[in-house]
Amino acid sequence: MELAKTHTEIRVAGGKLPPIPLPTNCPGCGVALDSDVLRKHGYVCDCGHHFRLGADAWIALVADRGSWKERWGDVRSHDLLNWKVPKPYQATIDQLTEEGLNEAVRTGTCTLGGRTIWLATFDFRFVGGTLSIVAGERLARGMEQAAASGLPYVLIAASGGARMQEGVLALMQLAKVNAAVGRLHAAGVAYFSVLTDPTFGGTAASLALLADINIAEPGAAIGFTGPRVIKQATYADLPPGFQSAEFQLAHGQVDMVVPRTELRRLLAHLLEMYP
Amino acid sequence: MTRHGRRPDATTLTVWQVVELARHANRPYSLDYIRRLAPDFLELHGDRLAADDPALVGGVGTWHGRTTMFLGHQKGRSLKDRVARNWGMMHPEGYRKALRLAHHAAKFGFPIICLIDTPGAYPGAGAEERGIAAAIARAIMEWFRVPVPIVAAVIGEGGSGGALGMGVADRVIMLENSIYSVASPEAAASIVWRDNARKVEAAEQLQLTSRDLLAMGVVEEVITEPEGGAHLDYDATARALDEALYRHLQPLLAQPAEELLQHRYERFRYIDSLVHAEPHFGPKID
Repeated sequence: MELAKTHTEIRVAGGKLPPIPLPTNCPGCGVALDSDVLRKHGYVCDCGHHFRLGADAWIALVADRGSWKERWGDVRSHDLLNWKVPKPYQATIDQLTEEGLNEAVRTGTCTLGGRTIWLATFDFRFVGGTLSIVAGERLARGMEQAAASGLPYVLIAASGGARMQEGVLALMQLAKVNAAVGRLHAAGVAYFSVLTDPTFGGTAASLALLADINIAEPGAAIGFTGPRVIKQATYADLPPGFQSAEFQLAHGQVDMVVPRTELRRLLAHLLEMYP
Repeated sequence: MTRHGRRPDATTLTVWQVVELARHANRPYSLDYIRRLAPDFLELHGDRLAADDPALVGGVGTWHGRTTMFLGHQKGRSLKDRVARNWGMMHPEGYRKALRLAHHAAKFGFPIICLIDTPGAYPGAGAEERGIAAAIARAIMEWFRVPVPIVAAVIGEGGSGGALGMGVADRVIMLENSIYSVASPEAAASIVWRDNARKVEAAEQLQLTSRDLLAMGVVEEVITEPEGGAHLDYDATARALDEALYRHLQPLLAQPAEELLQHRYERFRYIDSLVHAEPHFGPKID
């Protein structure tokens, strides 16, 4: 494949990734990790192990430097079911917000290789990247605007599913968001989804697998029901690699498995092919 | 607004008792209702791709003088039947069959009635291999394009994405002692506590009873069941369901398709709007 721009050109355009907490050794190959080197390589170990990134890192990785314009960042979740045990939901939200996180989905516009796009990225650190009312609202609004303006929509998925603490209203976000995905498609707007580790439950069963092109990161776990629950429910022995990105490629659910180090280049190329 | 621990109605039931009624072994299932609503019901099988999913029944019948498409989760009564119906848990083929029949209905202008009664989509390896997540995702998205009236009723368990995959409709109503939840109480307990034995506490927090959902604006109506529960009088429950379904369907029949689809979009797009309207309840989104 002849890609539109060289790797270096596009990498340089992206912002510097923020530091992330890392284990001493790589869980993939056991080698002692050098955080500065890893940071320059998009937190991908030489062995191919992809470390999980938060929304801030994804924005830095995908968006051209300085181009990110966040939207609806001031909308906050509240405890609407009066959820008390084992931990009050409001306390969970307050604590994560204090740590500098802003909900499980952040969305906005940016440029990628000079092309303006809508970007939405999940953040697994915020209650497991779970779909909440605010997450659904940010996603749906961005998609509606993309459908109206014709700008391509790029999603980075990393999510455990719908958020238990928002009850059935969290489940309803699947319908709300999928309705908006339908409008994106009807408007002929390009939609690219990047599925990262892990993408499960209501997020896999809604927007993450409905893109024009589904791209998975190597080794990412992707599925509907988690392996622990499958084993509990069916007593089945799951083969190695079950629900991996490669498994989903073999079973026809994703178009390609692409290393993170190639992602910017791929997206830039796709944006040129799907104007 | 109902709050944690409050009983679902003015009578004597706890939240967990409602869950048990929703799962009662003698509770009427989809076919019990469909055969009473449309005695000439003709079942149609298969997704036209690979298989037929017995956990979802679908077919046509004459109802109030009009050919109507009925779709419903179906649980089994005997042990053998339960296994055959997979406890009402659909595989990907079920969602594909549902969409096939929905488009079939749209071709002929038949309205669609969906009866929801599932613990959830099937949590097994085979379902994963054949793309259960994408099947549900596609179903939810496609229901927004089906240009005929759809009324859904939760008649027992409305479990998670497996239920919502059959639950995108112009009106959604619920039988009094049915439940509708982001996850089953067991699954929610397993996720939040890592211990599914905490199911009763989870059920109490999830606000999953019909009255909770009515208060949140997720369903349009709660249908009163005979005293003691639907399982004590199938005929009376079917009559009440029939009356409510038809009352909700009637105004939809006159709507142009474009308007119908726009309203369906808005129904789910702003389904959490009640949450926003109450200043101390939920996120404020402008």
